[in-house]
Amino acid sequence: MTASALALIVFLPLLAACATVAFPGRWVGLIVRTGLLPLPLLMLVPTAAVLDQNVVHLALAGHASPLGIEWRLDSLSLLMLWLNVGITVLISLHAGFTFRPDSDRGRRFWPLWLILFASMNALVLSADLFNLYVTLELVTLAAIGLIAVESKPAALRAGMRYLLLALMASLLYLLGVGLIYGQAGTLDLYLIAEQIEPGWLPVTALTLMIVGLLIKSAVFPLHAWLPAAHGNAPGPVSAILSAMVVKVSIYMIWRLWFWGAAGWDLTTAANLMGLLGAAAIVYGSLAALVQDRLKMIVAYSTVAQLGYLMLLFPLASALAFQAASYHLLSHGLAKAAMFLAAANILNSVGTDRLQRLAGVDQRLPLDVFALALGGVSILGLPPSGGFVAKWLFLEAAWQQQAWGWLILVAGGGLLAAAYLFRVLGVICLHPRKRLDKRPRRENPDLASVAALILAVGAIAAGFFSAPVLDLVSAGLPPGMTP
Amino acid sequence: MDSLGLYVLAAAVLFGVGVYGLIVAEHLMRKLFAINIMGNAIFILLVAASGPIQGSPDPVPQALVLTGIVIAVSATAFALALMVRLYQETGQATLSSRDDGDDG
Amino acid sequence: MTLFLLDGLIVVGLVTLAYQAVSSRSLFRGIIHFVVFGLTMALAWARVGAPDLAMAEAAIGAGLTGALMLVAYRRLVEGRSDSPADPAPAQSRLALPIAIGSGLLVGVIGLSALFSEVEPAQAGQAVLSELQQVDLGNPITAVLLLYRGLDTLLEVAVLLTAFLAARAVAGADGGEGSATTPAPETPMVGALLAVVIPLTVLVAIHLLRAGSYEPGGAFQGGAVLAGAGVLLILSGRIAATPVAGPLIRMGLLAGLVSFMLIGLVPLLKGSPLLALPGLWAVYFIETAMMLSIAITLILLFAGGGGLKRGRNG
Repeated sequence: MTASALALIVFLPLLAACATVAFPGRWVGLIVRTGLLPLPLLMLVPTAAVLDQNVVHLALAGHASPLGIEWRLDSLSLLMLWLNVGITVLISLHAGFTFRPDSDRGRRFWPLWLILFASMNALVLSADLFNLYVTLELVTLAAIGLIAVESKPAALRAGMRYLLLALMASLLYLLGVGLIYGQAGTLDLYLIAEQIEPGWLPVTALTLMIVGLLIKSAVFPLHAWLPAAHGNAPGPVSAILSAMVVKVSIYMIWRLWFWGAAGWDLTTAANLMGLLGAAAIVYGSLAALVQDRLKMIVAYSTVAQLGYLMLLFPLASALAFQAASYHLLSHGLAKAAMFLAAANILNSVGTDRLQRLAGVDQRLPLDVFALALGGVSILGLPPSGGFVAKWLFLEAAWQQQAWGWLILVAGGGLLAAAYLFRVLGVICLHPRKRLDKRPRRENPDLASVAALILAVGAIAAGFFSAPVLDLVSAGLPPGMTP
Repeated sequence: MDSLGLYVLAAAVLFGVGVYGLIVAEHLMRKLFAINIMGNAIFILLVAASGPIQGSPDPVPQALVLTGIVIAVSATAFALALMVRLYQETGQATLSSRDDGDDG
Repeated sequence: MTLFLLDGLIVVGLVTLAYQAVSSRSLFRGIIHFVVFGLTMALAWARVGAPDLAMAEAAIGAGLTGALMLVAYRRLVEGRSDSPADPAPAQSRLALPIAIGSGLLVGVIGLSALFSEVEPAQAGQAVLSELQQVDLGNPITAVLLLYRGLDTLLEVAVLLTAFLAARAVAGADGGEGSATTPAPETPMVGALLAVVIPLTVLVAIHLLRAGSYEPGGAFQGGAVLAGAGVLLILSGRIAATPVAGPLIRMGLLAGLVSFMLIGLVPLLKGSPLLALPGLWAVYFIETAMMLSIAITLILLFAGGGGLKRGRNG
């Protein structure tokens, strides 16, 4: 039962992608719905399985590792699956009008979109280092195809730069995989922990893999490709990039670090990772403060918010793990909402340059509201999901008397407040409306509704945190105790 | 074993050449040469890193490299298409350090 | 001793060609150097006991990558009298030190991995001992289809994704690309094709069949088949169209779809996902994959979404 559900969660969207290529006529819309909408229902099966038995192992083709590839489902991968399914389905509501399935643009967009979705599901399930490499390549190629799908020069250039860096990053990761295989004789992430001691070769291998993944996750100072790519992609694509695509490689680093290298003493490296996170928070927020385009502000905000996910390494406690997992969730919802709202504003006004957006709140109240709600969660104001995450981070730092990280988390919120209030200030506090009367293009209501649902979700995450946090603490990495 | 050692040394030099090319080459196609050369260097290391089994080479790394070669050609094909379109749109097949702050 | 000399020559050749490829004056020469580099890599693979990789590298790494680069080059020079703008290499004082440093690092890593005392890999041992239970003589084919099938399935998905992404960014002229401008027709071309094409198809089929026992398989066979397609395009027998007909679409997807469907069937009987129901399934999937790989590569070369009968067809 669980096996079938998981198989469909990966293969149904992939089959749907093939079907949209095979039947590019008027059926595309129906095929896309068939590939996406059953997924939330299917997710109930693995959810029940994880609640029941904590960890589910599936040996694909009936060959357990080290011979074959295994899928491994635990709380963290379940959380990632839900996040991907939920956010992709909601963004698809929005993408349904930007890329109408029966249009030429739509025919280019939807196969790649479905493949991106399926490949991220396959990635979070995989327990095999090389299989993770293949899924990550699939994620990258599909994502860059989507960035460039409208062939605007800025997006083409950003996509190209992203592609070159991503290919280099993959090579570093692959070299690490090869070294690990040579040392451990297996590619199974969870067997490796038992097989090798932290000698210099395994440590080098881990370093290479993590550096490669840090490039793909755009963690400061390897972030240079992100703002242009996320800021120039079509709206729905920006949303999924910031909400999911950069997260899956951070998810992989967590897996390597806390599961693969469980029991290694990584204190110095952990502090270094934390410092990178701190630099990302400060730099990303300051850069967001000086951008003059809305989408670029939201993109730099992603650079900053990714920094919090790095704080898990130095704090490394059950509380910090809950905090980071919850941050993953609430940032995903909030950022997807903000990018969709920004896309609606861009579509309606014709530009997203900040000084031209004064008064847009009167024309697009729903979108500005969604933007603001998303912002509330990013700031970490109560009662949002972002607040829960930040509060848990503060608690984790307090518990360990790690005052530096504590100040950073508190200060990061203030910096976020600065760039978000600047945006809202320009949009809402206008002495005289300078906006043209008529919109350039009308947005369908559904586009704003999709943004609003995601934003409300980011806020609601503050109220319903208990079950999720319980789930997360049922699947803590080895060595962490609640 | 001697010859494998020689090829590992070659892989090291090839990787260096690839890095050099990636830094100095302006034209995107040359950057793609460089990345493919680095990729080949890493494929050699992948095969070299795992010892032989009962005298015959380990099939697993070879299967992985075969997959890697197909992924490399896929990525290169897409990168070339991206480069051609970039050239058609901007007249350049390079990544100039110009500001990417275009608005939609 | 002679063999060691051969290795030495190959290694020197690899390094020289790689350097020429990234730094030669004209881009066109760079492409040629890169293709010859790929062929030399194939020799290197043969020398380190990896004939499967030698074939894949010769057909895919050198042959098709080179062909794709040449087509891209022609699209860059199209409609211009001068050669495409090829800016001078960037002046960077750091380039050389960084390159030498990373080369040294990779060398140290590689040599210590090569000479580190490790036991034979468990995964590899498991493959060789399992292999005695199935009628597949080539362990690499067994790894790709039986033991690590998901990798191969997703790898075919990667190729399809690359094609879809390349189509998504193709310009409005996509499909009428310059790869389809045929050379003037001479009787010799027709006669030559009449011999070469069936021969190539035979070689491809042989590679596919041989893959079960000897080096070869769907990827090598698909690449050779794609080579035949490239010849047909160059001679104007077939040409690209912007949109694919139903037959081409089927061929494009056959490998991935049949792998997924056959992989899902075992679930109905309570068997694990991707547990192939027999060797026939391996052969079926491999044949379908070979077709899909060939068609995808041909379409990538043609720069179109589909194929039609060409001007000389």
